[in-house]
Amino acid sequence: MDIQQVGSMRLFIPRPSYGWVWLAFLAVIIIALGIAPALVAGMASVSGRLTLIISIPVAVAFILLAFWFPTMRYELNRAELILRYGPLLTYRIPLDEIRTIRRRNLSLTIWSSIRFPGIALFKVPYGDVGNVKMCATAALNNILLIETEQEKYGLTPADEEEFIAAVRAQMEA
Amino acid sequence: MPQIYIMAAITLVIALAFWGGLTYLFSGHQRRYFWLLLLGLPLSAIANLIIKPQAVIAVGQAAHVQPGLGFAAPVWFLAFKVLITPLVEETIKVSPLLLRPAWKMVTSQASALWVGFVLGVSFGLGEAAYIAYAVAQNAEYASLPWYAFTGYLNERLMTCFAHGVLTAVLITAIQRGGRFALLGYLTALSLHLFLNMPVILYQFQWISIEVESISMVVPFIVFAVIFERLRRTAREPGEYEDGNEIVYFQR
Repeated sequence: MDIQQVGSMRLFIPRPSYGWVWLAFLAVIIIALGIAPALVAGMASVSGRLTLIISIPVAVAFILLAFWFPTMRYELNRAELILRYGPLLTYRIPLDEIRTIRRRNLSLTIWSSIRFPGIALFKVPYGDVGNVKMCATAALNNILLIETEQEKYGLTPADEEEFIAAVRAQMEA
Repeated sequence: MPQIYIMAAITLVIALAFWGGLTYLFSGHQRRYFWLLLLGLPLSAIANLIIKPQAVIAVGQAAHVQPGLGFAAPVWFLAFKVLITPLVEETIKVSPLLLRPAWKMVTSQASALWVGFVLGVSFGLGEAAYIAYAVAQNAEYASLPWYAFTGYLNERLMTCFAHGVLTAVLITAIQRGGRFALLGYLTALSLHLFLNMPVILYQFQWISIEVESISMVVPFIVFAVIFERLRRTAREPGEYEDGNEIVYFQR
């Protein structure tokens, strides 16, 4: 089900993707090429210890992000739209501050962020529209871009038409 | 088989996927640059096995500097040995432009950027293979397992990108023509020297191997900034326009 009603709040889920696979894959790569060799080589060398200090938190972060993938959702109530991803990400968008809602493809930059095929989280720099706070199951294509005076938000509701209708209905209520 | 070759194979696959993928995504899904990846592959071996040693020998003999002096050699000769790498490599990396099909691709700032980037990455891939070969000749490393060479993997991944940016700097400048070509060459030389600085400082034993490994990240970030600036400058008109944009709401 793409939409659920919980009291006065409506829950929208994002469109499906395999973004979690990328997060898990990166964790595996870091473990295979960073952590495992450093552990096998032993803790005697400074570079081995440094590798572990840097790699372990990064690998754990990717594993947690992959684990929380199914928790991505968009909550709409009378006053605001809330984008959530696990306990780490909560963006609140007051409905009366929304200036535009449009769907478009976004343009890549080289700058690193949590942005892989099928997932984009947190603040992501884009070449065309600048920094966007993302909570989406796509990184570039068909992103629903919500702009307020201060920020831009990117999301990918599964049922986009229903989502837009619901947001507009709440804004006009 | 020396274990470094296993890590070299992994490095080449990852570097090709990373930087080839970046080229494909950032150039607007264009595949026409990929054949250039073949042209730079042998150039590092040519530079390191033939041109650089011959240049050092020729200059040393002309100035009557005895070979094998190491740090006891005159300062100017040490400086020459430091400079010879960027001088030779920045020149040889653009040599594929002498081929007509390669030069014909350089029609705009954007195409110059991607031709340069791909040729530089190609050189970097060849250099990774050459360095693996050089390490394999050293008996000291023969007993190490393949996973002991993760430092090689990290360094070569970053260096491939750096070579791509350096060559892009030079070829975009050549495309502009005139004094920009010389300016581009001098800029590429300076940036190459900056890229090599951690290795040079380590060779002079002024920093440890750990500091040398970590400090590679600094040039990498600088090169990423330069790459993004080049991309912005080389942007084609209307590149960021999305013809399929739908505006649902506006006030």
